[in-house]
Amino acid sequence: MKRKTLNVKCENARSACGAILLIAGILCLSDSPVFAQTTLSPPQDIRVFDTPSDGGGSLTVLWSPAPDDSASIRYQVLLSEGTAVPDPAAMKVVAEFPANQRYVRESKWPWWTRPATGDHHQFTLRNGRGVELKNETTYSVTVARVSGEDRVIATPVQATPQPNWLNWNQMNNLLLALLFGGIVFYAISTARKREIFLRRIPGLDAVDEAIGRATELGKPILYLTGAHDMSDPSTIAAAVILGRVAKRTAAYGTDLLVPHRDPITMAVCQEITKQAYLEAGKPDLYKDDSNFFITSDQFSYTAAVDGIMLRKKPAANFFMGHYFAEALLLTETGASTGAIQIAGTDADHQLPFFVTTCDYTLIGEELYAASAYLSREPVQVGTLRGQDIGKALILGVLGVGTILATLGVLLDMQWPQLFLDIFKDVK
Amino acid sequence: MFHVARGLNMTFAERMLKIDRRIIFLVIGLCTLLPLLYPVGLPIKISPEVRGVYDHIESLPEGSVFLLSLDFDPASKPELHPQSISLLRHAFRKNLRVIAMTLWVSGTGMADQVITQVAREMGKESGKDYVFLGWSPGGTAVIINMGQDLYGAFPADYNGKPTKGLPVLHGVANLRDVNYAVSLGAGNPGVEAWYVFGKDKYKFELGGGCTGVMAPGLYPLLRSGQINGLIGGLRGAAEYEILIGQKGKAVAGMDAQSATHLAIIVLVIMCNLFYFSSRNRARQQGQLGA
Amino acid sequence: MIFLRRQVPLLITLITGVVFAAQYYVPHPASEQMLTSATKWLQIIGGFALVLGVSSLFHVHAVKIRRKEAGWGYSFVLYVSMLGTIAVGFWSNGKEAVDGASTAFGWIYNFMMVPLQGTMFAILAFFIASAAYRSFRARSREAAVLLIAAVIVMMGRVPLGEYLIPLSGDLSQWILNVLNASVRRAILIGVSLGTVALSIKIIFGMERSYLGGGKE
Repeated sequence: MKRKTLNVKCENARSACGAILLIAGILCLSDSPVFAQTTLSPPQDIRVFDTPSDGGGSLTVLWSPAPDDSASIRYQVLLSEGTAVPDPAAMKVVAEFPANQRYVRESKWPWWTRPATGDHHQFTLRNGRGVELKNETTYSVTVARVSGEDRVIATPVQATPQPNWLNWNQMNNLLLALLFGGIVFYAISTARKREIFLRRIPGLDAVDEAIGRATELGKPILYLTGAHDMSDPSTIAAAVILGRVAKRTAAYGTDLLVPHRDPITMAVCQEITKQAYLEAGKPDLYKDDSNFFITSDQFSYTAAVDGIMLRKKPAANFFMGHYFAEALLLTETGASTGAIQIAGTDADHQLPFFVTTCDYTLIGEELYAASAYLSREPVQVGTLRGQDIGKALILGVLGVGTILATLGVLLDMQWPQLFLDIFKDVK
Repeated sequence: MFHVARGLNMTFAERMLKIDRRIIFLVIGLCTLLPLLYPVGLPIKISPEVRGVYDHIESLPEGSVFLLSLDFDPASKPELHPQSISLLRHAFRKNLRVIAMTLWVSGTGMADQVITQVAREMGKESGKDYVFLGWSPGGTAVIINMGQDLYGAFPADYNGKPTKGLPVLHGVANLRDVNYAVSLGAGNPGVEAWYVFGKDKYKFELGGGCTGVMAPGLYPLLRSGQINGLIGGLRGAAEYEILIGQKGKAVAGMDAQSATHLAIIVLVIMCNLFYFSSRNRARQQGQLGA
Repeated sequence: MIFLRRQVPLLITLITGVVFAAQYYVPHPASEQMLTSATKWLQIIGGFALVLGVSSLFHVHAVKIRRKEAGWGYSFVLYVSMLGTIAVGFWSNGKEAVDGASTAFGWIYNFMMVPLQGTMFAILAFFIASAAYRSFRARSREAAVLLIAAVIVMMGRVPLGEYLIPLSGDLSQWILNVLNASVRRAILIGVSLGTVALSIKIIFGMERSYLGGGKE
């Protein structure tokens, strides 16, 4: 009996050792490439197409994520010219990256052009940095998965890069621009039919006061149109306001001095001043040299105007338009002569100096609003109204967008992005 | 008569409020001059804006293409010249390929001088390590043209050498091939023009440098990531000099700037004290009169 | 004549305005080529504008000298300086330095233009001080807030200020990055909307002041 028990015990021990050895062997072998090779699957659902909304020379590659994508596995993107691919392994490797990178969600696709869900992999082949893609030429593209020494390559797919006529990614931009344009046109047509209320801008009310003061003192008025040329909206607004100021000076018989930095602006302002004097019924008072050209150089012009201020001592100085560093040099010199100063500028970096040294300042788009306020023309007033509606819309979008973006983050929701993308600038 | 009498009886506060401007000019002049003659050398804290430009240049591998647009004239030299020297020293030290240019015609000579001076100091060769393209008319049109075809916009460099074939421009066809661009702008065209007509269209990374007055206006671009760093004024230049470990005129000028700022603060506080004093006196006189 | 002076420029503005606005949304190389051609024309015209500016200057001051108007002596100095600089510039081939040596043109640039422009800009520092002394008064609550913010930023932007009041550095950074950036953004939005509206009016011929004269 004892011998049998001993034999049974030995049998059991041998079986147990064998099992342990077998398990150990399996565990060791599971790390070997042989085992890994059998689990590495090729990339699935590869799609290659011409990158949309671009000027050509680019292909986009999409493929499904694999369940075992991780930093230890790598993807390679392979490229060759032509449709025939005798050996995919011989294709040129144009990119290589860890398998847990390069997703559709990381790219800047707005929802209306996104080609796949955010969890899909995406790589965009572009011209440059060792890659050359010619338009109207077919290329074969594929993706390989690499793990250690092993590589599995998917079946190549053909695609042809082509230039596109429309950038669909920026359709939101175009629609918003058209919407704003539509609002402006609508507001102008409304202004033609009925009167629209305009808030009083103190700086403009002071224009009459300033011109009256200059007339009482028998001193001239100095009017500057800024540093930019006639292609700039601020100079155009300054020229429009000059027309109104010139009409008043014509009516009161006050001298007007308008030194210029740009010959074309001078020519335009000469016409505007002449027209204003005609409309005021005082063409004989108009002087051709009331508008004169000094120089286009910034500080030479400033020195010249400062000299005019100190010699002629105008009673009122108007600084309308865009200004740079010369702003304070002009306004401080003007202030030292005791003139009343009215400024209007869209140069936000010079605003502090104007606000500090001038009696009244038109800030930012108030300059554009000034021409509407003075003329009361339906086009001008309607534009102002359209701008205000645009600003109200932007305010609304800011408020709603902030709430939605916050909700999206707090509750981990994706749908707020549908609204936010509409106002995103995507290139 | 009342006014004459009042004028004769002006209080100290009222007299101080009407003080001759030239006395203020003298105070500012002394506050600028004395620290330059007797420097103090206070520590300068580095701001994240300046660090943004520095870190990006530090991250560029050797041989990367760095475009520096010196968009300023001699008027802005005190603030932007030290910035350009520090950036060029940094870029040359990192062995980047430097493309320098200017959009301001009156700054061309100064730009040529600064790049030649720093290149000589760092042992760099024109055509091989750097190129100065000079100036071309058109302002923002130049940026657009460079974005399409750099050689079309600048067929020759400032010294007349054809740009096609220069080793420093190897592989650079247009602005899309630039790794990092910095515009040192004193106005327009400047940083904003480089963003609107350059980075927005041609997708290169952009940093900015500007005068102190312009810096607050460029913070929206910085906060939204449209530029990745901003060197603002003399203070920004001083910070950059500290970062690259080569102190120069900007650090030297910070003492003068400190003294001047303090002088203006003291003047402003004084004028407010005088203002409130004279206002109270006027109120009291008004009450007595009533 | 009216057609050439009014209608043709308006038609050109309309067509080119619409075409180049649309160009922004068209990535095709043909569109980019059109933009490149247009910007090359802009560069050429920009070059002509320089000539136009100089010739206007010559004309204006020639009239002043001929009529011996007040200050005609300065016009004469301007003439001599301009002609002298142009002559020296041509002689030096437009270069300020050749092989490290300064040319005559470089001498004029370095010893006249640079100091003169620097001087004009340096005056700003003095003017800021006098303007601040004259105007930075706490006349109202808003002015007082502005004053306090200005003092904090002035202290925080210089080493001495940060040394005396260490908090001023962080506070001024916050003022610049948060308050200043948001307000600048608001002004930018307003100005941009105004620019877009004005551009639309110019393109569609509703704003014609840039052509000179009033509306018909």
